[in-house]
Amino acid sequence: MTNKLITTSPTRRSVLTGMAATGALLATGTTPRFVQAQSSEPIKLGFQLHRTGIGASYGRWYERTATAALKLLNEAGGINGRPVEILFEDDGTDPKRGAEVVEKLATQANCDLIFGTLFSHVVMGSALRAGELQVPYLVCSEGHHVASGALNRWTLQPGITDVKSQVQSMAPWITSNLGKKVTMVFPDYAFGHDHRDFFTAAVAAQGGEVIKQVAIPPTETSFTRYFPQIPSDTEVLYHVMVGPAVLTFVKELGEFYGSGARPEIFGFIDSLEAVNIASTGLEFLEGTHFWEGHPRYKQADAAEHETFYRAAVGVDDNGASVSDPADISTYGHMFSTWETLFVVKAAMEAAGYQGTADRQKVVEAMEAMEAMEEGVEHPQGPKVFNGKTHQVFGLQSISKVEGGRLVRVHQTAMEDGFYPDEVDYTTQSF
Amino acid sequence: MRGLTVLFLLLPGAANAHAGERMVILTLPTGWYLLGAGIAVAATAIVALMARRLPAFAAHRLFDRPVLVTRHATSWLGAALLAGLVTVGIRGTRDPLENLLPLTVWTVIWVGLTLASVLFGHLWRDIEPWTGPVRAIRRLTGWQGSVGLSRLGHLPATLGYLAFAWFEIVSLAPADPFVLARAVAVYYFLILALAVAEGEDWLPQGEFLTAYFGFVATIAPFWAEECDGRLRVMAGLPGAQVMALPPLTPSAIAFVTLVLSSVSFDGLSETFWWLARLGINPLEFPGRSAVYGVNSAAFVLFWAFSAALILGAIRAGLPQGRFATAVGPLMLSFLPIAAGYHVAHYLVALLTNGQYAIAALNDPFGRGAAYLGLPEHWVSFGFLAERRGVQAVWTVQFAVILMAHLLAVLVSFKLSDRIDGAQSFRAHLPMTLLMVAYTVFGLWLLSAPTGA
Repeated sequence: MTNKLITTSPTRRSVLTGMAATGALLATGTTPRFVQAQSSEPIKLGFQLHRTGIGASYGRWYERTATAALKLLNEAGGINGRPVEILFEDDGTDPKRGAEVVEKLATQANCDLIFGTLFSHVVMGSALRAGELQVPYLVCSEGHHVASGALNRWTLQPGITDVKSQVQSMAPWITSNLGKKVTMVFPDYAFGHDHRDFFTAAVAAQGGEVIKQVAIPPTETSFTRYFPQIPSDTEVLYHVMVGPAVLTFVKELGEFYGSGARPEIFGFIDSLEAVNIASTGLEFLEGTHFWEGHPRYKQADAAEHETFYRAAVGVDDNGASVSDPADISTYGHMFSTWETLFVVKAAMEAAGYQGTADRQKVVEAMEAMEAMEEGVEHPQGPKVFNGKTHQVFGLQSISKVEGGRLVRVHQTAMEDGFYPDEVDYTTQSF
Repeated sequence: MRGLTVLFLLLPGAANAHAGERMVILTLPTGWYLLGAGIAVAATAIVALMARRLPAFAAHRLFDRPVLVTRHATSWLGAALLAGLVTVGIRGTRDPLENLLPLTVWTVIWVGLTLASVLFGHLWRDIEPWTGPVRAIRRLTGWQGSVGLSRLGHLPATLGYLAFAWFEIVSLAPADPFVLARAVAVYYFLILALAVAEGEDWLPQGEFLTAYFGFVATIAPFWAEECDGRLRVMAGLPGAQVMALPPLTPSAIAFVTLVLSSVSFDGLSETFWWLARLGINPLEFPGRSAVYGVNSAAFVLFWAFSAALILGAIRAGLPQGRFATAVGPLMLSFLPIAAGYHVAHYLVALLTNGQYAIAALNDPFGRGAAYLGLPEHWVSFGFLAERRGVQAVWTVQFAVILMAHLLAVLVSFKLSDRIDGAQSFRAHLPMTLLMVAYTVFGLWLLSAPTGA
């Protein structure tokens, strides 16, 4: 590893200059430790981890993916030739603890930046503190909060697309392949409302129509009495139920339609993240479609880096842990920690990052980023970063359940996910 | 017996629900199980009342053996272990699922040792870290007296348990290694000081863990008794030890009702039902910090409510004027429920975090070692996402809760034989109804949708 940590061969001239500078620093009494820090002291990245609390099932996979990416990063030379460490700190999936974790990582542990947060309420509770402490805060949450302008100059989402972009980019394919009359079934709170608002607008823009919105109270655990609200002329049923009653929802939906005619059905994989599609009770999903951020099942045309990524994280071709085929990963989201780490590398190297005094330079370097190529560093696919909105854009997949597996039938174009900027963070002060 | 203690310390154990498990359990016909369990408890009471034949609950001596290592010595070992664990909590990894301190406290001791105690008796007594140091300090200082703490009965232990349960169920970061290390250290020295002042014999009623394990161990079918320097290994129906216990004092009644209600509240506070009462969307639980205040108050109120319900049921069945003398013995019948609830409630934690505890022993210094030969990514929760696995977990939980209540009914009938006027149908009715309700409630807690 040590050999690989030196990325560029220094020229004889730079070595001599460096030696002279070192000599001068020593002579003037400046400690040599600083010189040492410039060359090989590890870069410390803080990771705000949902290790306990409601986010724990995601946190487990986020940690595993980030750890695998870190190993690769260090084997390939680290950042600017310096080894990289990740300090994982549990936030209990709680915004109050989240803010404390940010403070601890930024000040006590002196981390160079912080990343990894998934749950929106923790992001909202922590980003403000990160801004106050002037530490780059990179979220991996797919929430629209970054691009909406609700956060600050120090908060960016460079590793995963936001829900507005995801939802909107589904509309063209759905309206031209599944149907134009859509009924939406969603949980009646912010998460469901985002889907309702973004998708209703996107469908209208495609010449389709959301003919009915069925909002289900979040505390509901049985859904049979809501299904009669679905109009009979519905061509597409769009569902985004989440929580412990999801299996019940699918089961009851199946009972409602029986073996008779049903509309086309489209869902978001968030509903069934970490759940085996071949589970008992999910048979009804056969032939239905899902949005996937990153196809859970390895596709027939998967690129080499996709295979590499799975092996590195320890995930098999079905998206399950290599050690337990029943342990399904949070495949649709966890790539964000991997990709974010490599964005950090690119930004720090572009900024000539030396230490925490250069934190602002990292944000500026990220804001200057544009295209990110698909490859080992970006296994989910190519991306385009919008420096003004601090949000990355990418390709989405639409998969069909075939034989209890998700098979990709469509991949969106980059432009499908674009929408007008809602903020320009670069005009804000640091 | 001491060997078993060590063995069980190596076994897994501790704390938090998994969304996948509840997702699957909601598709199981748990309602029928609840109904069936309620009927089974009611039927047992009716049969016991009509047949008037109850198990003898006799204790049998299996064998005697010499005490190999004194409790004094094993206590020092416990103290040394504790010191080591606190050091690990302060200096070790910040990950609560890799650090051996939270894993030992919340999984190995709180869950694993409870299970072991319910089967093999009062194992905690052999490793509790105070007796040895307390004796030594008292000998060194020459102080052999007491300061009157014993007159408080189980009150100090009740306060200790209340603080502990609040720390576990309500506080923000009970598994944070550093937070926990500080709490453990403060508690250890507090108890050490009090026990030095009062004498080590105060521990079983003054220190909550010793009191707690002492109570749950009375359900064990195997246990050990010390007499004349030898260890007598005993066996008997679960409940045989309960029959030999003196009636519970008022402070011990407070303690037992607190044990019962804290486990119930832990389960209840995570349910959709409870979160809806608080006006919280269970699908986006805002974190413990958002329910900190309300759950602190609700926890104490829930304890008061549970205690009132239990004492009310006992009182309602007894003839006028008998309550004061009968409540102490009759409350003993709730010990099986306290133990059973704990085992069932924490079973999933045992099966999940227990894996982390084993993995931490596999690589205690986080350097990629594999002392137990476990492969990478060994910790795995696939069984909780599959119908087969969840059905198995639910079946065990169902059996434990049901057996605990059946045992409680039988024990309460047996105990009531000693009380004048407590044998009639009318006397048993309120308690039986409470037991039926408690059974259904306990199973509902384990199968209800949760969001926290």
